[in-house]
Amino acid sequence: MTDARSQFRALVGRELRTVARTRIYALLAVGVAGLLFALTAGGGGAQTGYLPAVVDLLLPLELLVPLVAVAVGYRSVVDDLERGELAVLETYNVPTWVYVAAIYVGRAAVLSATLLGGLLLVGLVIVVAAGPDTTVYATHSGVDSPILWGRFMVLTLLFGLAMEALVVLLSVVARSVRAAIVLATGGVLLAAAGGDALIVLGLADGWLTESNLLSALAVAPNSAYRGLVFETVIGVASAGEGGSAAPLWSLLGLVGWLVGSLAAATLLLSRRQL
Amino acid sequence: MTTDPILVGEGIAHEFGDLSVLEGVDIPVAPGEVTAIVGPNGTGKTTLLRILLGHLSPTDGEVRYMGPDVDRPIGYLPQQPSFRPQFTAAETIAFYAALLDEPAETEAALRRVGLADAADRRVEALSGGMRRLLGIAQSLVGEPPVAVFDEPASGLDPSMATNAFETLADRAADGTAVLVSSHDLSLVDRFADRVVFLNRGSVVVSGSPAELADSTNSETLWEVYESVIREPAARREVEA
Repeated sequence: MTDARSQFRALVGRELRTVARTRIYALLAVGVAGLLFALTAGGGGAQTGYLPAVVDLLLPLELLVPLVAVAVGYRSVVDDLERGELAVLETYNVPTWVYVAAIYVGRAAVLSATLLGGLLLVGLVIVVAAGPDTTVYATHSGVDSPILWGRFMVLTLLFGLAMEALVVLLSVVARSVRAAIVLATGGVLLAAAGGDALIVLGLADGWLTESNLLSALAVAPNSAYRGLVFETVIGVASAGEGGSAAPLWSLLGLVGWLVGSLAAATLLLSRRQL
Repeated sequence: MTTDPILVGEGIAHEFGDLSVLEGVDIPVAPGEVTAIVGPNGTGKTTLLRILLGHLSPTDGEVRYMGPDVDRPIGYLPQQPSFRPQFTAAETIAFYAALLDEPAETEAALRRVGLADAADRRVEALSGGMRRLLGIAQSLVGEPPVAVFDEPASGLDPSMATNAFETLADRAADGTAVLVSSHDLSLVDRFADRVVFLNRGSVVVSGSPAELADSTNSETLWEVYESVIREPAARREVEA
């Protein structure tokens, strides 16, 4: 039988080469970097240090990251379906899971480069603009540090990867490229804002109590991301500010969105008639 | 000479909701032959091909592949082949070849369809006809024992259309079982070893072009088409 690993490599290579030769993705990366730079400069956090910049960027990123995930991935599968490429790939005995995994890895690489590029640029701005104490590599709580910025980047990336998996799933569900952009945008915004809205509703109606609030916060992707940033970045430098989220559950929540979306995408695609 | 079929569809039926698209279709595809499916638009040709490829499950009947156990048993050219526009013709074929264990020669694949000179040209810079030829090259990557072509000559000028059918006939001469759907009766008449006339989801007649001409007192495949599809349709309209 054909080697799944070489098929995976060929498919990932195709995705990366497609992206590298499509100018719009480079423009997207420049736009994201510019926007992050503007938000940081406008918020004034960069002059003070990494943590103030994190506070400035956290809320905008909760919206920006899902939208970047949509821009990078909404066409990923539906394009191949609509153009009949999947029907052709089927004749090469490419397993559905290999196809979905390769498409995801290819798009996730683009998303990672876009987000990390922008955040690295902002990090450099902070190095240049902020005071001397921000260059300290903190080994204990209460000190602003580039390590905290690094954590923030990793958590933002994790949030983005979970959103990208959801976008790939929605691209499998879509029946046309036009439907895909509506479905992907609506889907990620629903996941982003819907989770928070549901939690607020639950607290107001009383079916969500203080005892299960942290678990609920871990399930919704945005609140899981926010909780992780509060607990492992902002809370570290602010003594006594912990307990706003369950970090392990929040981490599992984001990983669950990632793995669950890709598993659902594989299942749906394997059942879809080409 | 009759060869045992390598791909067989038996009693194929398919329904989309309440609409019956195919009913009791039997179709054998033999190696070394070009088998052509002919019929009016909307008669179920593409649906039948999709079922034979395994992309669509029949409501009734079965499909059996009895060829060798290879990486790629069936090659396929869709009705509207589409590729990544950013890739060159050579890169496109190399990508598909990389999906198989057996190495396939990109240059030879392009030469076979007359695209060797356009190997470094991006897909977006190829004409519609050249893209279709690239599709034919793709469908033959890995030398599949069965090759299925959905309207390979559609949109091609007469010279390119003939080239496309010559390529299919060459593959059949090398032992490949070639199955093609086409509206071009003159090319089918010239290149097909066996023709299956499909109308309203059922096989009306099938056989070699000569057998069909004999059985319907016709001289050309177009006359066969007139007698088995157009005239019965006109009679039905009068009766209605």
